Amino acid sequence: MIRALAATLAFSLTALAVAAVPADAHGPTRQKVNKTVEINAPADKVWKIIGNFQDMSWHPAVEKTEGSGGNEPGAKRKLTLKGGGTINEALSRYDAADHSLSYEITEVDVKVLPVNNYSSTLSVEGEGGKSVVRWKGAFYRGFTNNDPPPELNDEAAVKAVTGVYDAGLAAIKTAAEAGG
Amino acid sequence: MQPLAVRAGTLRRSFVAALASIVCVAVVPAKGASAGSGGREHTGAVPTAFAYVTNQGSETVSIVAIGEGGEKMQVTGEIKVPGKPAGIALSPDRRTVYVTAPEAKELVVIDRATADVRARVRAGEGPLGIAVNPVTGDVLVADWYEHKLLVLDATTLAVKGAVKTGQSPSGIAVTPDGGRILTTDRDSNQVSIIDAKSLAVVATVPVGERPFGIAIDADGQRAYTANVKSNDVSVIDIATARTVATYKVGRRPYAVALARGRAFVTDQYSATVTVIDLTSGEKLTSIPVGEHPEGIWSTASGSHVFIACWMENTLERVDTGTLKVTGKVEVGDGPRAFGDFLVEEAPSRAPR
Repeated sequence: MIRALAATLAFSLTALAVAAVPADAHGPTRQKVNKTVEINAPADKVWKIIGNFQDMSWHPAVEKTEGSGGNEPGAKRKLTLKGGGTINEALSRYDAADHSLSYEITEVDVKVLPVNNYSSTLSVEGEGGKSVVRWKGAFYRGFTNNDPPPELNDEAAVKAVTGVYDAGLAAIKTAAEAGG
Repeated sequence: MQPLAVRAGTLRRSFVAALASIVCVAVVPAKGASAGSGGREHTGAVPTAFAYVTNQGSETVSIVAIGEGGEKMQVTGEIKVPGKPAGIALSPDRRTVYVTAPEAKELVVIDRATADVRARVRAGEGPLGIAVNPVTGDVLVADWYEHKLLVLDATTLAVKGAVKTGQSPSGIAVTPDGGRILTTDRDSNQVSIIDAKSLAVVATVPVGERPFGIAIDADGQRAYTANVKSNDVSVIDIATARTVATYKVGRRPYAVALARGRAFVTDQYSATVTVIDLTSGEKLTSIPVGEHPEGIWSTASGSHVFIACWMENTLERVDTGTLKVTGKVEVGDGPRAFGDFLVEEAPSRAPR
């Protein structure tokens, strides 16, 4: 499944050029996606997989993470997706004790991800030997004016982010539950 | 606006479609409020004050007994409002609730006595911010897309006037004497000061970047804008139409409420309410609240401010003396409550 996803991403993204989108432009209705996955592994183990802002290799769509600033607020990273699309992100909050980090997309082509003004929090909560990973995102649709085309409307934005989250959470679960 | 490469649309759609077909698609969990029907039933200590909270995701307005005396907050009713309701305001007699529904492009009029929608009328292309002139009762709607302030007659609900503002007017505030209307023109980084009678723009005032919410003090002298992008609050002297101070707040400030000589500012990305002493200009504290705090409003007495937390789906109560969260309740999905959303039982009160 993961491989199929990556292959699809690779194919879809290859031909796309990246254009700057104003990060602060939006219409009136912000969207949100809030997803969780239960994992049979302790929170510390899960956090080891996802807690480094400079390494998003746990996500099946991400080919490469390049960045600076470590895990300090203000740190930057550039995600190169399998196939070549890129997403630039900045870390806004990092709490290792609480197993939680928040970041924003600073630049993405709406053809790569049809959203604007995207912010997100990824966190792990432990319950004994188990844990729950939560991935929350807030964003506006890709088309910032009235009456958007279907591929850049609210539903398209929610669907795209949901897809990214579901694929990522499934991969975290697989990685965390594998081996000791 | 960014250019759209239509040719690439098919490719991108296939990316989205492929993702969606591979992974299991689940709808955002609708936690919803455990609301009864009707607006006025309540139990225990009799609450005398209510909040009307626009829930953009669930397309409802939650009616919440706010327990100003410190009682437990509780949802007492829910009203269906299609069209992604966001902005909210109340009539001078506090009997009518006005809500903007941007997706439906409508002004929705709710009768408090029946807790039901009384009327829905078309209001421009992108109605978002809303306010009521406390003296004339005129309903003022900011049209985000057409860059206008619309003036609707409270009785006929007809658009009786329109003013060209800057780009993407967002928040609206009116001076207590009803004489001046201020709009935050988000994409022009300015505030328009409009004469309420002649509907002439008498001044535009440069403020911080991307001003959104706006509040005017009880004297009608100063206005405070929450500047989303520059992470600060601009203080405007209305008479001289100048920015006289700028206060740093948390990240992505959304709206401002005034109480006890303090400004309470919702910081969306920081998940805090920044409190600023308006005499000294000093920041007093940042109060952690639910994620993505948005709409904020003060009780008439200034005893509490109430905050709609968009990501958390809560309405939270902050004691303006102790500066602590003293209550919260789950409302519908995606609460915004952008505007005046608090009703106290006294039929009228001094505007803030």
